Amino acid sequence: MIRFENVTKKYGSKDKPAVDNLDLHIEEGEICILVGPSGCGKTTTMKMINRLIKQTSGKIFIGGKDIDAIDPIKLRLGIGYVIQGIGLFPHMTIEDNIATVPLEKGWDKQRISKRVDELLELVELAPDEYRKKRPSNLSGGQKQRVGVARALAADPPVMLMDEPFGALDPITRSRLQNEFLHIQEKLKKTIVFVTHDIDEAIKMGDKIAVMRDGNIVQFGTPYEILSNPADEFVSDLIGGNSTLKMMHLITCEKAMRVPFVVSQEEEIENILQSAQDRRIKILAVTDSSQRLVGFAEYKNLVNHHGKIGSIMKKVTNTVDVRMTLQDALSEMFSFGSKFVFVADHQRKVKGILNIDDLLKAVSEDEKNTDAMA
Amino acid sequence: MELFNFFIQRWDSILELALEHIVIVITAMLISIALGIITGVLITYYNKSAKIVLSIAGILMTVPSLALFSLLIPVMGIGKAPAIAGIVIYTQLPIIRNVYIGIMNIDPSIIEAANGMGISPRKIMYKIKLPLAFPVIMAGVRTSVVMGIGIGAIAAYIGAGGLGAYIFHGISRSNDKMIIIGAVLISVLTILADKGLGRLQKHYEI
Repeated sequence: MIRFENVTKKYGSKDKPAVDNLDLHIEEGEICILVGPSGCGKTTTMKMINRLIKQTSGKIFIGGKDIDAIDPIKLRLGIGYVIQGIGLFPHMTIEDNIATVPLEKGWDKQRISKRVDELLELVELAPDEYRKKRPSNLSGGQKQRVGVARALAADPPVMLMDEPFGALDPITRSRLQNEFLHIQEKLKKTIVFVTHDIDEAIKMGDKIAVMRDGNIVQFGTPYEILSNPADEFVSDLIGGNSTLKMMHLITCEKAMRVPFVVSQEEEIENILQSAQDRRIKILAVTDSSQRLVGFAEYKNLVNHHGKIGSIMKKVTNTVDVRMTLQDALSEMFSFGSKFVFVADHQRKVKGILNIDDLLKAVSEDEKNTDAMA
Repeated sequence: MELFNFFIQRWDSILELALEHIVIVITAMLISIALGIITGVLITYYNKSAKIVLSIAGILMTVPSLALFSLLIPVMGIGKAPAIAGIVIYTQLPIIRNVYIGIMNIDPSIIEAANGMGISPRKIMYKIKLPLAFPVIMAGVRTSVVMGIGIGAIAAYIGAGGLGAYIFHGISRSNDKMIIIGAVLISVLTILADKGLGRLQKHYEI
């Protein structure tokens, strides 16, 4: 979909090029992450795709077309663009911000208005509440949602994202990353994503291009990069604990166990009987519509009578089936618990994870990749 | 009381001079604002020229207005035309400077996003840069208008008429009342113009 052929970019009369004879092929529907320390040429590489920066030599093709042959304005209207600073237009409403590119493309009013609603729903902002608000009334996370919606407005096949989640706090960042992956599952855009955060690269990327001094040091899937770093630079970038980083690659769905679920109306005696011999430690307690409300430890049930609802402890935090083991682990750490429930968005309990499950999942995964290699 | 009677007796001629003053200043300011905004916008594209243009406008403002008007006489003669030209020259700096600063101080990520999305430079200017710089530009315009009304009084020296003429007549006839009435009316005009523009700014600001 996007192809770089011998692309070099020199700034001014400096000897050392910012991007040095780069070849790169990004497949359709993939997220390709450009990762590396500052000054490695990753942003320059990205900005050459929409001609914000003109390459000194070499050719860049999108869908087989040489971008130098396309009018830059037309080219950019067909490429979604999200940046760290977000750059929402503060004097326009959220609606007008999102409508910018469709308006430039000459869509009619009705079509634009429908599209704005669609996009706001996609990024989980209620259209009726947010359409007429101004950027200054939104939080950082909400602004970046609008930034993503604006970039998607005219449904471009290609998106460029320059550290889009870089300025957000870790919790918001993680949420937006997950939501974005979820959106990407449906939309299958070809995305070039620049970051200096290797964890983000591993989590978000289908492919990762590790860059240094204007060159690509290694190009491959997150697995390949983690399990087989090309050189010391790459392994330094990954950092010490690649096992821990593998947790970014596995979703909770794959590692969770099915928990023992009881209704809060259930009598403790009955539970004790049916739960015997199953080596159950934790029970998930649900309300009448099967939503998770609490939990109880099996060992505390003995010597109690009545309904389980009366002695259960409340569950405040769960992880989503689509979140990664890394998210599950940080959830356990931040709430100081030894386990975490996995639930869907309606709070229906799907599974349970404890530290042992995480370790087991990661070590099994390593075995698999070793076998594959 | 005497002053009041004096004003009542001559209110029609005073009103005429006030209107003359207003017409001169409005004409000059319309030209000045248009010229200032165009110049200010242009120098944002050519950064090197910005320094030069701003210094020239700065120097022009340091020329005493009386001298500026006198220097215009050999070129434009006397009357309203050189008066208007003088006010335009004199009030350029605040407008040019505020247009330039207002545009250059916009968060660069906004401009980068607009560029990257494929909005043409011309549209970025009038749909994004100018609206965002509007409050700063208006501050410059208000300063200029206030200056323009004041200098308009001195323009009477080269035969432009207006309330300045009333003051000059008062001086030559040693008539305190004329001086006071002229001065007070110019102050009133200035305050009204400033407040009015302030209202306008609030109304259009986000």
